[in-house]
Amino acid sequence: MVEKQSTPLEKAARLLDLVPYISTHQGIALSDLAEEFGVSESELLSDLNTLWMCGLPGYTPLELIDLEFESGYVSIRNAEILQRVRILSKDELVVLLIGLDLLRDSIHTDRSDLLTAISSLQSRIKELIGNVAEVTPIVNSAHRANILKAITSRKKLEISYHSLIRDTVTERTVTPLELSIDHGYEVLEAYCHTAGAYRTFRLDNVQKVSISIEDSQQTGEPKPQSELHLQFSISARLRSTLERFRLSLSPEVALGMQNFTATSFSQDWLIRNAMSTLAVTKVMSPDSARTELAHRCRKTLDLYQSPKFHALP
Amino acid sequence: MSRKTERLVNLTIALLATKRYLTKSEIFRTVDGYEGTPESKERMFERDKDDLRNLGIAIEVGTFDPLFEDESGYRIKPENYQFQLGDITSRDIALLSLAAEAWRGAALDSSALSALVKLHAIGIESDSEALPDLAPSVLSSDTNLGSAISAINSRTVLTFNYLNEKLIEESRVLEPYAVASKFGHWYLFGMDLDRKDVRSFRFDRINGALSTKGRAGSFTIPSDFNIEDSLEKNSLGNSVLLYLRQGRALGLRARSRETVDYKAPDGWQSVRIAFQDQERMIEEILWYGDDVVVLEPESIRGSVISRLQSGVDLYG
Repeated sequence: MVEKQSTPLEKAARLLDLVPYISTHQGIALSDLAEEFGVSESELLSDLNTLWMCGLPGYTPLELIDLEFESGYVSIRNAEILQRVRILSKDELVVLLIGLDLLRDSIHTDRSDLLTAISSLQSRIKELIGNVAEVTPIVNSAHRANILKAITSRKKLEISYHSLIRDTVTERTVTPLELSIDHGYEVLEAYCHTAGAYRTFRLDNVQKVSISIEDSQQTGEPKPQSELHLQFSISARLRSTLERFRLSLSPEVALGMQNFTATSFSQDWLIRNAMSTLAVTKVMSPDSARTELAHRCRKTLDLYQSPKFHALP
Repeated sequence: MSRKTERLVNLTIALLATKRYLTKSEIFRTVDGYEGTPESKERMFERDKDDLRNLGIAIEVGTFDPLFEDESGYRIKPENYQFQLGDITSRDIALLSLAAEAWRGAALDSSALSALVKLHAIGIESDSEALPDLAPSVLSSDTNLGSAISAINSRTVLTFNYLNEKLIEESRVLEPYAVASKFGHWYLFGMDLDRKDVRSFRFDRINGALSTKGRAGSFTIPSDFNIEDSLEKNSLGNSVLLYLRQGRALGLRARSRETVDYKAPDGWQSVRIAFQDQERMIEEILWYGDDVVVLEPESIRGSVISRLQSGVDLYG
């Protein structure tokens, strides 16, 4: 754990929280207490030594807080005044409100007991701070829990995956490797046994997850895939277009920069984005991309020109 | 180094224990740690009061006898100090603990940790067995999210630079009302003081850090403000009628609210889809290439055709 120096105020807040905590956990081990409060044991000892000097005015042994911790286990007496659990700050209430939103959307409707408990807690919180935060999660917390469990227990997963690029939903058996963040989206890095290759899956497009009874076998080193580059210029809608191609936004980009390079392992992803932005982008290279774009535009345009696809008169 | 910590704790105990208001001179005489000249004691006390307030501990100021212009005194009312969510079950503790866990490694994880400590200090065992296996995660590590939440709670005006569609920085002055996450993005809502209207901003388009302006408590959030309404402000009930190729355009298919009784060619289905932003709708239609054909409105059909034609001219 990184030893970071608390400010006197942070320390005071911690002391006020230590008292009720120890009162309800008499005899707790120093090490457990330090872990609960996210501090080192030496910082905790300094906290306890300070707390020892605190109490009611008068500050005789009758008024001082009485702590015992030499044995390595902590107990407290004579601290009735501070025994109340401290009020939750508004920031803490917002944190809980948002966290409850994340839970609610992942709980199956047959657990109405939990859904009722969540809405009761949320309405109590909103009464105190107002309706200042709201989250509609795109990833199901139960899916994430299953994936994490499979990673730790080295099991395979059966997933149902909606690929936006391929425009398909497929059932796959994968060996999960890790969860990470890719351009703001949470992704699962995995070896896909169905495809016989390493794949990255966006968690928000995972529709079903179940842990397989099969252990995950050792898989080989990730094969280096070759990245594809698309060079293009943008004539308008600069921000939206850069976001779409997952290029970073900064005002410097707007100055002078005319040409951009988007990078992906998927040629189809690059082409579909170029199709979407036909009105404002011009692809310079590679030639294969230009040929494919011409092909898709013509094929689609043919449909519009066919009488079958005319709007009703 | 711990003198200040000690004094803050002692002051809290004294003000919490007293049944009547304590005057400043009583505090200086009896609470351990106030030393030095009268002026330095004053300064110490003023700072201590601010510090406790920052911890969310409200100190009441009052007088002993309302009939006389007495010296004012101070106290902390127990109801303003103690845990305020009322009766809590072990299942509630489990839910709230899991809610706080969602912030591990994200912005505001220190508030989440301190909330967890308080929840555990209540001394009711968390009944996590009662919950299904869930791993909620907030994900955002954007420090602006924490600053925005604090500014909303303290009703402090924010200023920041926002990147417009041309990636030019616009400076904004905002009374922040709320934060929300939808479609995988975090949004900040509030009254834009220059544009005199409620606006929303995506956090990832804010360039640099948010800064506060002026004092806390400088505005109120209107009682009729509603996050849901603000998110859907641009929705004007627009919809588009599409043919989708059998088994394709799954993303669009999932969003279609109604199946349409509109005869489609063999191997195609017709669907109607509501949209908010016309430009985004056109881009999404083009994403699916020859798996989607627009029938109406004519404006969108025309746009799609002319873009495809320009693609043929450009790349053909």
